[in-house]
Amino acid sequence: MPKIELKNITKKFGGTFTAVDNLSITIEDGDFITLLGPSGCGKTTTLRQIAGLETPTEGEIIIDGKKVFSSIDMIDVSPSKRDVGFLFQNYALWPHMTVYKNIAFGLENLKWEKSRIDERVKELLALLKIEEFSERYPAELSGGQQQRVAIARTLATNPRVLLMDEPLSNLDAKLRMEMRTELKRLHRETGATFVYVTHDQLEAMTLATKICLLDKGVLQQYAPPLTVYNKPANTFVADFVGSPTINFLKCKNEGNGVLSSPIGKLRFNRVDGVMGDLGDTPTIGIRPEFVTMDKNGKLQGEVLSSLPSGMETTLRLKVKDYVFSSVLFGSLDFGVGEKIPLSLPGETMVLFDSNGNYSGEGSLEIL
Amino acid sequence: MIKKQLYRFYKFIKKPYNVILSVLLIVLGYLTLFPMLTMIKDTFTVHVSESMRLKQAAGTFTLNHWLKVLFDPSSLSVFYKPFLNSLVTSLGACLVALVFGGVFSWLITRTNIRWKKALSSLFIFPYIMPSWTLALAWFNVFKNSVVGGVPGTFQALTGIEPPNWFAYGAFPIALVTGLHYAPFAYIMIGGVLRNMDANLEEAAMMLKTKRNRIVRKITIPMILPAVLSTFLLVFSSAMSSFAVPQFLGLPVRYQVLTTQLYRTLNGINPGQGYCIAMIMILLSVGILAFNQRMVGTRKNYTTVTGKSSNISLVNLKKARNVISVIALILIVIVSILPLVSFALESVILRPGDYSPSNFTLQFWIGTAEENSIANNEAGLLRNPNLWKALWNSLKLSIICAITAGSLGFLAGYGIVRGRGTKLAKVVDNLAFFPYLMPSMAFSVIYLSMFSTRHGPIPALYGSFFLLVLIGTVKYMPFASRSGINSMLQLSNQIEEAGEIIGVSWPKRMGRLVIPIQKSSFISGYLLPFTSCMRELSLFVLLVTPQNRVLTTLLFQYNEKGWSQYSNGINLMIVIIVLVVNAVVNKVTGASIDKGIGG
Repeated sequence: MPKIELKNITKKFGGTFTAVDNLSITIEDGDFITLLGPSGCGKTTTLRQIAGLETPTEGEIIIDGKKVFSSIDMIDVSPSKRDVGFLFQNYALWPHMTVYKNIAFGLENLKWEKSRIDERVKELLALLKIEEFSERYPAELSGGQQQRVAIARTLATNPRVLLMDEPLSNLDAKLRMEMRTELKRLHRETGATFVYVTHDQLEAMTLATKICLLDKGVLQQYAPPLTVYNKPANTFVADFVGSPTINFLKCKNEGNGVLSSPIGKLRFNRVDGVMGDLGDTPTIGIRPEFVTMDKNGKLQGEVLSSLPSGMETTLRLKVKDYVFSSVLFGSLDFGVGEKIPLSLPGETMVLFDSNGNYSGEGSLEIL
Repeated sequence: MIKKQLYRFYKFIKKPYNVILSVLLIVLGYLTLFPMLTMIKDTFTVHVSESMRLKQAAGTFTLNHWLKVLFDPSSLSVFYKPFLNSLVTSLGACLVALVFGGVFSWLITRTNIRWKKALSSLFIFPYIMPSWTLALAWFNVFKNSVVGGVPGTFQALTGIEPPNWFAYGAFPIALVTGLHYAPFAYIMIGGVLRNMDANLEEAAMMLKTKRNRIVRKITIPMILPAVLSTFLLVFSSAMSSFAVPQFLGLPVRYQVLTTQLYRTLNGINPGQGYCIAMIMILLSVGILAFNQRMVGTRKNYTTVTGKSSNISLVNLKKARNVISVIALILIVIVSILPLVSFALESVILRPGDYSPSNFTLQFWIGTAEENSIANNEAGLLRNPNLWKALWNSLKLSIICAITAGSLGFLAGYGIVRGRGTKLAKVVDNLAFFPYLMPSMAFSVIYLSMFSTRHGPIPALYGSFFLLVLIGTVKYMPFASRSGINSMLQLSNQIEEAGEIIGVSWPKRMGRLVIPIQKSSFISGYLLPFTSCMRELSLFVLLVTPQNRVLTTLLFQYNEKGWSQYSNGINLMIVIIVLVVNAVVNKVTGASIDKGIGG
């Protein structure tokens, strides 16, 4: 199974707008990568460049050791010869063909024998559990069923790389959950390399073996999901990943490890990270689950809003002039205006330097 | 360096749309831009027929034409008056089209009027028929003694002589042109009304807004862009229409720009004609640019979701039957009565006499010897001239439809796929440009362009090929518009899904793109066919007796005053066009109204 290498890929549109800026990543064989970022960050463009549907302005793309694109060597292998499958956001099923024909079309195009095509189509119909729809037209199927057909069609030719462009964004929440499980199963069963575009950080977290986070065409972080969550490379990553979003305390560096923050003076005890100059205005990132209710807590929060979901409750808490997001586990509810004692426990608070880059993690001590 | 250039070139031509666009750029540049430049030059040069009067050799530079047209005491009658007349009749036509078409589209889409289907298909008739059909019918019915001797049906039946202002000139021209283009308004405004998200109105209803307030504050603002587009489209079409003012204006010497153009181009002042044509083109370009800007900025605002839930129809209550009958009568008058009039006029011996003894079929089936009344011209069905012209018309229309339709579709494909590139933009404009050229001026330019040999291109005057060429270029805008519209509806991904599994470009077109867009694809052929069948002004100067078509034959008979023949031919043209449209519509689901809207 193939490895995909992107080397210094840059894509400019119309000479002025840079969609992807000098992107270099290596996707290991059998990985499930998600390209994550806000809309317009270049993730779909990146995916389409791997597929060959879009031509990079500069750089090199290597799939399975074979150069499929190079601006220097002037190589540009056509999409069909890259041995990739592509799953489109709107499914792009051919409306004038039945489900069976949709799946078989690519195989017919490869001049497979009829009996072999039939065998393969039946196998896929079974794999995706859509046997009973084989003679229906796409318009007669629900969104989820259409999506399954689209996946079957993409898998038909047995591509070793499967590229997916927000394939679940048109489905409802329940179906989306179901299809996520399904995709993980397919990843395991086919053994192919998956590259998956999404703007939904939860989807990226749950599916991927590695997340590639982009913003404005520039790579922000390329790491496994939990690393991205716990050791975000910068404030953008920290802010983008996680729901509710991380709390940022903008501090003033008083020297000697003392930071003055909107909730008072703090000491940050670093347990890990790159030592370096913090600058004058470092930022502390605190995940909502680490703003906890604690009878002995030194802080006091006033409830601004309370959103209980049963398993957990999301709160907006005012501490001095700062408003925290907090997630408390368990079936709890609070009245607005209620006062709660709080603490900020644990060793996974994140410290960013004045430029917003990751500087380390550690615990907080309230002075 | 060279290698890099080569590589870029290779990358460029690897995309089929780039190849299509490049080829079109060259071909269309030659066939539309070159004529245009020739014409500009012609407004500044002395022409053969003018050299005597101007006492200058043909081909010398002169400002005389422009001065005569714009800044001379005679300018008033040469240009300003016809210009004013054109404005008046075109504005009048817009008013008629919008009121008639707008009210009708509201009745059909939003009320419980009876016979919706029948009314709706009858309403499109006038657009499918040649534009002068209604003019000729009007002429048949309301002509008075001014044109000499024979009165029209109205006078024959009632004994009242219609006044001049009613029979000829601005009033009937505006009315007839307006009725001809009313289907535009129906299709465009009706389309918005039909697809408008009912929630928008329901939201207002939930806020306890009164029904007529909803119409005033929500519905009308929503359809305003469509109204504006219709207005501009009808206006520019009316400005360039030739046959209607020619039929209805001539008896009282009511000149508009197009008839003035015909006079000058055919007469001794072609230079002035070119100046008028130039002004008309500039006017059209201006209108179009204005339209694009208005529609462009307001597009988001008319968002048509296509998710139309059931709109509660206005209950006309007691008025339902009355309104339904009135609508039916009006539409029958406009759509059916002209046909009856043609049939009638083609079977009476002496025009104006509708007594039973005066009826005859000799103009249809009489032999040449029997028809001494018409210089021994054989009856239409036995007339070799007619069969020849019919054959030519069909041949020409079919070939033009195939060439214009296919090129237009490819242009639409290339323009949409290459969207955003300069090349696509240029080709888009080039492909639309012929629409803005007044047919008459266009044909005169082609006449002079291809009358002699140019490099590898032989002299084409008098050849059938020239007719095909000009028809193709002139009708391509219709096809390219419908091509663009249908390609815009088709997501890029549909084709990419094929590309990625290695389906070749021809196969992607043949197996995916075209079958999916089958009905609008065929509509792209239907519009050029229909237009070509009924075209007069484009061909009238280019045909020779050898390649006469039905419309020019009709024109000749009409000029000779043989109204039975011209009416008979008109009936034939209308029936052929209607039958072809109906058959194609039945078989493929394509229809003419799918092509309009751009």
